[in-house]
Amino acid sequence: MADNGAQEAAVDISVLARASIPFGDNSVWADVSPLLEAACKDLRDGDLIHGDNFNLFAAMSALEIMDPKMDSGIVCKYYSVDEAIENGAAPVPISFDKTVDVQRAIDIMDHLLACEATWHKGHSLAQTVFSCIYLLRPDRTSSHALLHSYCRVIRATCKAVISVVSDARTHEEEDLFTMAYGLPLDGDGDEKCLSLLNAVEETTSRQLRACKAQSSRRRVLEDIEPLQTNLDLEEGYCKALLCRLRFRKHFYHVLTSMRRPQGRGLELARKHISSCILELECILKSSEFLRSSACGSCEDIIDDSTTGSGCQPVGFDASLNSRLSAPTPPRAIKILSWKKAIEYFVKLLHDLDILCSYSLDPLLEGVLQFVVQFQKSQPDLVARSHLQLLLLQDGKLYGRDSIFAVITRAAALPEVTKNHDIQKNEYIVQLGQLVINMLKILCTNAAWQRRKLGKMLQDWRVIYVQLELVFRKDFGEVSSIPDDENICVKIFRHILLWVEEQTYWIASRFLILGFELELYSPSEYCMVYWYIYVVLIKLAEKTHLKMATRNDTSKRKAKKKRDSLKDMGREYRIPPAVLFVQCQMFLVEGLTMMLAALANEHMILQSPSPFNTEQERFIQHFELLQKACVPDHISYPSFKESTAYARFSTLVMYNYFKDAQRIAKEVKSSFANDPEKLAELRKIEQVAEHNSIALNVMCRVGALDRTLKVSFEFGHHPYFATAVVKRS
Amino acid sequence: MDTKNEEEETRKVDFEPVEIEYVSYGGEHHLPLIMSLVDQELSEPYSIFTYRYFVYLWPQLSFLAFHQGKCVGTVVCKMGQHRNTFRGYIAMLVVIKPYRSRGIATELVTRSIKVMMESGCEEVTLEAEVTNKGALALYGRLGFIRAKRLFHYYLNGVDAFRLKLLFPSPELFSSLPVITNNEDSHRHTDHMPPEECCELH
Repeated sequence: MADNGAQEAAVDISVLARASIPFGDNSVWADVSPLLEAACKDLRDGDLIHGDNFNLFAAMSALEIMDPKMDSGIVCKYYSVDEAIENGAAPVPISFDKTVDVQRAIDIMDHLLACEATWHKGHSLAQTVFSCIYLLRPDRTSSHALLHSYCRVIRATCKAVISVVSDARTHEEEDLFTMAYGLPLDGDGDEKCLSLLNAVEETTSRQLRACKAQSSRRRVLEDIEPLQTNLDLEEGYCKALLCRLRFRKHFYHVLTSMRRPQGRGLELARKHISSCILELECILKSSEFLRSSACGSCEDIIDDSTTGSGCQPVGFDASLNSRLSAPTPPRAIKILSWKKAIEYFVKLLHDLDILCSYSLDPLLEGVLQFVVQFQKSQPDLVARSHLQLLLLQDGKLYGRDSIFAVITRAAALPEVTKNHDIQKNEYIVQLGQLVINMLKILCTNAAWQRRKLGKMLQDWRVIYVQLELVFRKDFGEVSSIPDDENICVKIFRHILLWVEEQTYWIASRFLILGFELELYSPSEYCMVYWYIYVVLIKLAEKTHLKMATRNDTSKRKAKKKRDSLKDMGREYRIPPAVLFVQCQMFLVEGLTMMLAALANEHMILQSPSPFNTEQERFIQHFELLQKACVPDHISYPSFKESTAYARFSTLVMYNYFKDAQRIAKEVKSSFANDPEKLAELRKIEQVAEHNSIALNVMCRVGALDRTLKVSFEFGHHPYFATAVVKRS
Repeated sequence: MDTKNEEEETRKVDFEPVEIEYVSYGGEHHLPLIMSLVDQELSEPYSIFTYRYFVYLWPQLSFLAFHQGKCVGTVVCKMGQHRNTFRGYIAMLVVIKPYRSRGIATELVTRSIKVMMESGCEEVTLEAEVTNKGALALYGRLGFIRAKRLFHYYLNGVDAFRLKLLFPSPELFSSLPVITNNEDSHRHTDHMPPEECCELH
């Protein structure tokens, strides 16, 4: 039966005459429908044709031909770019009516902005910016100065942005961004895009002057052809065009200035950023004019329009690039609205401005604080890539300071040590790499960042062990030799302390990011705060030790210089940096105990899960920390031990929140010049205050009043919760 | 469990929990029921190969819920060796709108997880949109934690959580450092490519 079917299905070459798809030199189309039909008849329900390596990915990639949801080819209007052009999809000029030509050119510019923002937000270049047919054939636009110069600058800008993002090379999850195969990004002469743009801008400026002079009946100084034919609209269109051209010019300058090495172009970039923002404001305002004078053929103006005029742009077709976009057939994507695109660029420019205003702090602590602060506004990929390239160039901080110098400064070593030969030690070199890696990771998106920070902990632990072994081998026990006798000893000692401090800092960031990423459910807060607490204890300890070691050395030197009497008289004060951590420690200890008390006194609902216990969840959340022994001797049983006896009666007597408040007040004056630390301390005070009050309420009323409901909110601080007590 | 659509008008069906019949995947006759249920909910369809991949290799992990002869819910899963753990993966979970918030999804998932546990799985995992409060609450109650956040995991730009359930391990003494595998979150391992992955969760 099957054999007969096969014979019937033999290829019928005469069918070729009806083929609507043109065939090439080496290919011939043949209709195989009869063959497929026969094959289908041969299969029974449930039979599946598959090969040995038919895995899940193969199954997922399979598509049903002619199903428009899967087969992107079926929805294509045109088979190729050339066919689209032949059918008039991207005419040059756009219209023979000069007014319409200008209107449509502006629509194209607006839609391109929307596409560009969509691309930045995580879609492929092929489906966004390069859905523009004019961009795909660079030579076609050469007779149309406006379109030609604009397309050039778009291509050059995309190329510059791709360059920044690929140089940062920490965009693994966002790899769609840099995919540009088959796209004409290297247009001939694109680097001269600005001179072309300037020429067009100059012409348009003159046209604006001319029409203004006309309207004010002044003598027309220059004999220039107007932009378009409707004199009433001339001023509006000139202005609308000018701000768009100028935005592109300034934006391109921002990108090139920021790439200048060692932060040399940052000040200039700021000027261009401020111009960009002004031009974007003009662009936004021009929408009113564009809408009112829009071509009559426009459909209803919708809010998520991709153009200022509300009209659909000419010359775009996202399906033409479907073969270039991705390995699997691309799904249709939604282009951001024009308004949202402008919002995106305004945010991007503000983020870039923050980078350009950065003081290039040589101290690592300052760098880390800056990066953490910058990330709070959730900058997008392009801004983050610029951050990374600002910080790290040629393996140096800001392209200027060697990583070893950064380490010695961070380790509170004197400036002279930064050139010491010890930097050639293989483990010191590795440590340098870890620092560079850490800085790069801190510039990535929070979700990716947290995973990498967790994994990094083991590497930092390992390098510590390796350095300690070298130290012990060369110099004996760590504590026995006084620093000044051997500079190597001093360097090692300080670096070892600093490595530990930095490791605990990474661990604290890992745990804290979990709150920002909403990874913890309220029933897990207690164990998380407890873990943060044990990490902060270590962090404070190491920071304190590092500073004390530095002070010891200088004290001994002072003794030799006979200034010692003054020094010995002075009371030893805990350094503000340590007090800052201690303040957070008390707050977090308070939170841990309060949550533990709530659980112990059965005031919060804790329904056991059918499949596992709190212990499994503990193991999972802290897996990476446990694996790296950061800190050591920490386990689920020790968590239970620490919290088993928490009761409100004892908590009110020893109120950790009050301690946090006390230290916060005390240490504020030391940070008078650090607005970020001050802001943090103020927030801590608020959280401590509210929690203290809540604690008192719970203690007084709590266990007896079953109608009391306690919830935890983050209104005062992003990761230190405030208890809210309500009657249900 | 696409709870985003809860606001839409759905006439809820009244029923007693005992009226719901839970059935293990029984063969070809169940496949079109599963497919239509999942197709209804997803904006992007799976090809038939995808369904067959799951139900043929792990029929014991897929369950259907019936009410008065009508299929109202289904769960589709797989399990296997992933690096050095043996783990289960929940691929699809659907309950039609009129039957939601009545514990059917919980029951379906619970049955599947039990089979995974009995089959020696050490853990169970899945991805869910960060906005899918219903799914997150359901799995949270079962003991899953949000192990990771996956940035822009779905095509519409929404992030996902990788949810994981760790079964208690009898041999491990809890105070020892846990020896676990180093987990990577790449898309291109044996789990679903992001665009295809069940937006239902």
